[in-house]
Formats: sequence, C-alpha cells, structure tokens
Amino acid sequence: MDHVTRFAAVNSKIKTMGSAFLKEADYIELLQKRSVMEAARYLKEKTAYNRILEHAHIEGIHRGQLENLIKQNMIRNIDKIIHYFNGNYRRFVATLYAKYEIEELKQIARAVYNGRSAGDFRNSAFIGKYSGIERSKIFEAKLTRDIIHALEGSEFYKHLIPLVNGDIQENLFRFEMVLDMAYYSILQREWSRLDKRDIRILEQAQGMMADLLNLQWIYRGIKFYKLSPEELLNYTIDIGYRLTRDFVKGLCYAGSLDNFFRLTRETRYSFLFKDDETTDIYMERRMERHVYFELLAMDRSHQLSIITTFSYVLFLEFEVRDLIAVIESIRYGVPLDQAHQYIILKLRGDEK
Amino acid sequence: MAVEKMKIISMIGKLRDLDRVSRFVVLDGNTHILNALSELNSNYFSLSASEEHMQALQELSILRAYNGRRDFSKDEAVVASFHTLFDMKPEIRKEYLDIAYPYDDTLKEIRERYGTVKETFDRIRVKQAGIQKMQKQMENLSYFSNSSVEISSLNQLEYLKSRLLMLSIDSFKKLESNLENIPAVVLEYAVLNQQVVLLTLTPKALLEDAERIFASLNYTELELPTGCSGTAGQVIKELARQIEAEKAEIEALKNSASTMKEEYGETIKRAFSMIELEKRVESIKVEAAIGHNLFFVFGFVPESSLGRLQAGLKETFGEELVLIVEDVDSRRAGHAPPTRIKNNWLFKPFESLVNLYGIPNYNEQDPTAFFALTYMLLFGAMFGDIGQGLVILLAGLYLGQKKGNKSFGGVLSRLGVSSMLFGVLYGSIFGTEELIPALLIRPMHNINTMLLGAVVLGVVMITVGYLYSLANHLRTRNLEEGVFGKEGLVGFLFFWTLVLTAGDIAAGLNLFPDGAAMGMLAVLLLLMVFKQPLANKLAGHHKLHDEAPADYYIEAGFGIIETLLSVLSNVISFIRVGAFALNHVGLYIAFATMAEMINSKVGGIIVLIIGNIIIIGLEGLIVFIQSLRLEYYELFSKYYTGYGVEYRPASLFNEVQ
Repeated sequence: MDHVTRFAAVNSKIKTMGSAFLKEADYIELLQKRSVMEAARYLKEKTAYNRILEHAHIEGIHRGQLENLIKQNMIRNIDKIIHYFNGNYRRFVATLYAKYEIEELKQIARAVYNGRSAGDFRNSAFIGKYSGIERSKIFEAKLTRDIIHALEGSEFYKHLIPLVNGDIQENLFRFEMVLDMAYYSILQREWSRLDKRDIRILEQAQGMMADLLNLQWIYRGIKFYKLSPEELLNYTIDIGYRLTRDFVKGLCYAGSLDNFFRLTRETRYSFLFKDDETTDIYMERRMERHVYFELLAMDRSHQLSIITTFSYVLFLEFEVRDLIAVIESIRYGVPLDQAHQYIILKLRGDEK
Repeated sequence: MAVEKMKIISMIGKLRDLDRVSRFVVLDGNTHILNALSELNSNYFSLSASEEHMQALQELSILRAYNGRRDFSKDEAVVASFHTLFDMKPEIRKEYLDIAYPYDDTLKEIRERYGTVKETFDRIRVKQAGIQKMQKQMENLSYFSNSSVEISSLNQLEYLKSRLLMLSIDSFKKLESNLENIPAVVLEYAVLNQQVVLLTLTPKALLEDAERIFASLNYTELELPTGCSGTAGQVIKELARQIEAEKAEIEALKNSASTMKEEYGETIKRAFSMIELEKRVESIKVEAAIGHNLFFVFGFVPESSLGRLQAGLKETFGEELVLIVEDVDSRRAGHAPPTRIKNNWLFKPFESLVNLYGIPNYNEQDPTAFFALTYMLLFGAMFGDIGQGLVILLAGLYLGQKKGNKSFGGVLSRLGVSSMLFGVLYGSIFGTEELIPALLIRPMHNINTMLLGAVVLGVVMITVGYLYSLANHLRTRNLEEGVFGKEGLVGFLFFWTLVLTAGDIAAGLNLFPDGAAMGMLAVLLLLMVFKQPLANKLAGHHKLHDEAPADYYIEAGFGIIETLLSVLSNVISFIRVGAFALNHVGLYIAFATMAEMINSKVGGIIVLIIGNIIIIGLEGLIVFIQSLRLEYYELFSKYYTGYGVEYRPASLFNEVQ
C-alpha cells in the first residue's frame, strides 16, 4: 500500500481531531478554578471533553474519577485512529498503548510494594488495553509477583518471568526497569514491520526521545542512585538519534557530575543542564517541551507519514499530563504562578 | 414449523423449599427463568386476595435479591483431581439426582476420602515436577552437546563460579559492547528465539559485582544437574534413564489407585452430578426474589411441557407451593417471551443459518421452513451437479456424524442432495454434460431462459416474502406498516403493479394503457408517503404525526426513492441465480479446455480433478454465500426482524450462565 492511500484519510482525521486540543486560554481559565468540580464543569461546558463527561455527575466528582475520564477521552481518540489502519500499522499504533499501561502497572506495583491495596487502582484506564489481560486479576494482586502472574499470556510476561525465577526477593526497582526496557524492545519489533520510510522517521522521533531519557537516566543515576557504570549502561535505551552508543557509554563512565556536564555541553541537549537549582525541578518539563516542538517540526516536514499519528498520540499524552497537573494543583491548592511551571504547554508570562 | 407458545409460571413457596423447588425445575429442564425482581417491577403482579395468598401479598413489599452465592470451586477442584487420578471422564448422570439428595454429606465424604488419596496424589505430583525439572536440565545440557566439557567439573572450580544464563538479544548486545568492564568470562553457547545462552565464569571474590550487572540485564539462570559426571551427552543419557524410572513409578502409583477407583468411583460420579446440579440451582436462586419467609420464582415454560411440570410440582409440594400460570398476551411490559422454534428434521439444520441473522421474535412467523426450501432451491439451481453434489453430501454427512457438527453438516448434506437433483435436471456429472441427457434444460445453451427464469423465481419468492410480512403485521395489528407500509399491502400492490407493467411492456402485449399503470403507481406511492397520518386517522388518534411533520416528510420522501430502487434491485438481484448456474458450467469449460491442451490423458484427468476441487471449494463457497445474501438481504429485510430472545431453559444439559 502506498503512503497516500494509507495516510490521506487518517491524517485529515487527525487534523480535525487536533482542533479539539485545549488552548492556552483554557489552561489559564482552568488554573483559576477553586475546586475539582468547577474544573470538571468547565471541561464539560466549554471544551471537547463534553462528550466524555456527558453522563458524569459533576457534583461530587473527585480527582480520581475525573482523571480516569480524561484518560478515557485519550483512549477514545486513539481508538478512533486505530480504525483507520490495518495489518502491521494497526498493531504498531495499538502498541503505543503499552507505554501507558506500563506506567499504570508501575504505579500499582509501587503501591503494592508499599503495602497499599492494588484495588485502589480500579480506575486505571489503560490496564489491559495493550496486554489484553483480565483487569480484575491485577487489582487483586498482593505482591509484585502476583502482578507478574496476572500478566501471563501477555507480551510483558516473558520479559518479567526472570524476576520470578531465581531470587525470591521482591524487587520493585527491577520490575520497573524491566517493563521500561520491554516497552522499547516491543516497540522496535513492531515498527520493524512498517515501511522503510516510516521506520526511519520513527527512529528519528523515538531516538530523539530516547536520547533525552538516557541523559536524564544517567544524570540521575550518577547524582542520586549511585549506580555502577555497568548497570547505568545496561539500563539505557538502545535507540539513539543524536547520541551514539559510544557517547552514551562514555557518559555512563563519566564518574562525576562535573565530567558528565562537560561531556553533555557539546550536545544539542545541553539546555537540560543549567548547572543551577532549576535543573532537577524543570528537567522533565524541558524534555517534554523539546519533544513537543521537535515533533511539531517533524510533522510539518514529513507529510503523509506515521509521524502524524505518533505525535498526535504523544500530544494527547501531554494534554492528559497537563490536565492532571492542573487538577492536582487545584486539589492541593498550589499557588497560581507555581502551577504554571508544571505545565508542558507554554503559557503567557512564563519565561523559565 | 413454528414458534412455540409460552406460558408464564410463577412459583411462590416457603424459603426452606427453595432448594428443592429449584432442583425440581432444573431436573425438569423446561423453564426459562426470569429475573423475579425486575419482573415484579415491570408487571403488575396479580394475586387474588384470597386466604392462601395473604402471606405472599404481605411479603411483596419487602422482597430482595438472593445474595448468598455459594462457591463450588473448592469442591469442583477436589472432584476434578479425583477425575485425573482415576482417569475418569466427567459426566452428568440423572439417575444420581433427585430433589432431596444429601449434597453436603456426599461432599463431606468425598473430602474425607480425598485426605486418604491425597498422599498418593501428592507423590505423583512431586514426581511429575521432578521429571519436568530433569527435562529442563536435559534441554539446558543440550547447549553443551558439541563440547567435551566435564559437567561435574563446572561445579567444582575452586576460584571461579560457573553459571549458565539466558539473556535477550538486546541485553546481550549491551553486554557485548561493554565486555572489557565486566568482571567475568562470558562464553556464548547458543542463540534461539531472540535469546542468547551464555556460560559465565566469575571469580568468587567478584560475585556480588557481577551479579548486580547481570541482574540489570534481566537474566534467567538455567539450571544444570548436580552430582552427575561425564560429558553433556553422557549426563543427558543418564537423566533420560532416570526419567523413565520415575515414569514407571508414577504408573505404579496410579495402578495402586485403581483399587480405590472401584471403591470410590460411584461416589465421585454422584458428587460430580450433584455439583453440576447445584450450580444450576444457584443460577435459578440468583434470579429469585426473597422475602422473610417466601420466595418468588418466575419463568417461561412452553405450553407442551407445562402440564408435566405443573403436575409434578403439585404432586411433590402440594399446598406448600403456590403456582400461578398466566398467558403471555396478558403481559404489558417486561421481558419478551423467549422463542423456541420447532421444525421437522428436514428444516432443523437451517435454524442455525436463520439464527445467524437473528432469533425470531416471539410474535413473528418462524421463517425457517421457507428459508430452508428456498435456500436449497437457490443453491441447487446455481450449483446443479450430480457428482459435485454427492461430494458435498458426503462432506456434510462426515461433518454431522464424525465431527459432531450437526447443524452445519445437516445444512451441507441437504444442499448436496438439492445440488444432485438439479444435476439430474441439468444433466451434469462432475462438470461434464456428455454422460447423461438433461431432463430439463442445459444452462449454457439457453442463456436467456436461465436468466429470465431466475427473475421469475425471484418474483415468486419476493411475493411469498410479502405474504409473510403481511401475516406478521396482521398478528401485531400494525395498521401503519401492515396496510400502508412498503412491506405492507400497499407495497405489495406496488410491487405487482410494477412487475406486471414491466412484463407487459417487455412482452409487447399492451394489455393495459400506460397512463393507468402510472396513475396506479403514483397513488400507491402517495399512500406510502402519508402512511402515518392515514393510519392515525383511521385508528382515530388525534395526533397525525408521531414526530415533527417536517422530519417525517423528509424521511418519507427518501423512503419513496428507496422503495423504487429496492423493488427494481430486489428483482434484478435474482438474475445472479441464473448467472451463477452459467458460471458453474463456464468454470468447468475452462478446466476442460486446459485438460485438452495438455497432450496426455493422465495430465488431463489430473487437471479435471484439480478443476473439480476448485469448483467445489471456491464456487461452492461463493454460491453458499450468494444464496445466503439473497435470503438475508432480498427476503429477510421484507418480513423478518429477528429481535427475539433465545429460549434457554435451566437444565442440566445447558451451560450455567
């Protein structure tokens, strides 16, 4: 199938769906709200979230429910797009769900590890969405290994099974890392079945994102976790765009933060490390904004390719993150100017 | 031939009888249970205020759902483990069951016995686990099969620790890129399914560092046997011998269990049947409404089975159980009655094809008989061949008898017979038309007759479709659709006027003047446009339109276009019957020509055989689908809604829902 037939319809659809993204004015308006309920009402009356909130009881809605509905909206939109694809492309787009499912699985595992009940997470929107497992089994888990066994039959299982074999000790850190690594190996396997042009584009987009994640990982590994260079290297993502494998390896063996900064200064990503107290606080947001603009640019320069879908899904994710940040700021009474700083979208009068 | 009449039975009895009544109902196996609470909410439940109903009337206001759902999974597991131990097949036997059996006692007995056999059972399990472990070790050893490494020496190194690890290929690449920093010797032994098998040798002093690094690569350790000496090949042989020995011991254990089988077998069969019955009893109780002292259970029962059920309940429970039987027609709301269709052996298999579209509504004619006849006719007409029909017949019989696929096998065998009959009419055996004379017609020599005949057949079948539709509308007293609708009387007249006019013009007879026909058609179309106001007027309603008039007329306007189009396309659609009959011959001619082009007798025969296989497989499938399409689209859309509810009585031989 040539790329015009494949993408003409879905990309037009995404264009129209893109107009439903929240605008800057919406965020400014939302940040003024005093309660979760007011924010929900605004979303219902003034934005494209009216569809998903149609039957929700705004009175007495609480944070968890609203966040779940916001995620449901994302699922709804992605499902719409999946319908436009078939074969390997359909599978690839569906694989993008794995990232969000993994995020929720990690959340549940962390809760279980800390002695909380997995049942508290019944609102999780993405569990089962990619893996296709029975959701209820996850919510009954008492231990990390219960979660692993609940995932039996899914793609994740074969990556996780080494954790259960061998050592009996519960190991949350490895559970999280293994799932993250699994995502990139599954993703690469799925995209290897696409057309050459799309593979190249994805390698660039995901490679750029992986560069950022690797930098963040190594930086944190050196600064906070004090891991050995070998372990740091083993947990890096194997897809790079601007950073070569050798360079990444060099970073892992940098030994000290000073060395690390010296090495990264020469890269395109030096903006991440400002050598002041803002580095840690804003790193995530700086990464996301960078991704946002790079993807926008790629979308413009690669007409009729997979990048439109790929970036649309990511932009949806950013919107969900932003909205959740807004709702949390409202719920926990974070001052307005501070709340601004947790949002990926650049708002007026926000210079950092 | 028809949809069976249903009655509603209400059972009101003392709570202590609930189990026994439910068992009775399941064993009887004819009651389609309704949810009692929603039934009571949606229907006015009429109880005469007599003495015997007093208590029931009092309890009506305090009813709640049954919520003591019992869990049978433990008992089932116990019984299932007996089944595996004794190599028994689970089966439900009615003779073990009555309404008052001692369920708890039997299960208690089973559990006690389980204690005594459990030891044997556990020993078998341990041995099986051991065998699995050894098989795994054999597999792991096989990676060394090409080397002469002494396996036991790997475990006896003084300063090094050896381990066999498996990594994903991605992880292995990372390891490879950083080998200079790894405190271990890494030897690659095998690559399979994206996994790499490695032997690592680590200085014992550096074990901890190495472990952290390997752990971050997410390894799986492959276990090697301890205490065996020799090369891998020798150890594998030794393990295989041990496995055989273990297997023999398991057999011996199972044999010793067989004496127990004679002793307990009966009880286990009984227990299994009981559990199955209890599960279904639970599914009835879940639908019941429970008061302080009484329970309410409602269900649909086919009229033919009602007498027996009623008499049986009366005899067993006497005055303790109040039974009320009502007609379905007296219901105002609530659950639609389920549909149980009854057909004779000839038509029965076709029910599955009808149900594929939808289950007949309770108030609808069962279309199966008409469907079956016409389906066989259409298939035969399109695929008429004695030899190929015989193949389909045999395939159908095989599926029905050997594979147990009764409905599809039945459909196939009937289609095969029909195809053979038409084969006689067309004079065709395995495609060739030279062996026997045609009794009726040779399709390829009479193309126009075939196509015209197909259209005539279509007109006849569509007419029957209209008659069904009229009957259905008459039953539901639907004035608007029945008289003025496009599948009603007016639509029927329109169809025939159009057909007659077209036939008149085509044949050049000029029996009636064009103007009269046009005028008639216009009047009928107008009647269809104004069907709702006309029907409402006739019925004496004040409101002429059920919705906004503008909306109604826009819809009706488009309805006209659809009516015109569909009358034409429905009839023309039947041309395909003739076309596929020709196609069938044509396809064979193509293969016959190819067979001739091959200048060898054997080659020619092979081509013809292949040709016949393709025709039966490919064309058979196409014709099967095309006939289905004609039935569903051209005919069912006229008279069949298929919104019915399947009749699923609570019975031992139905799955628990």
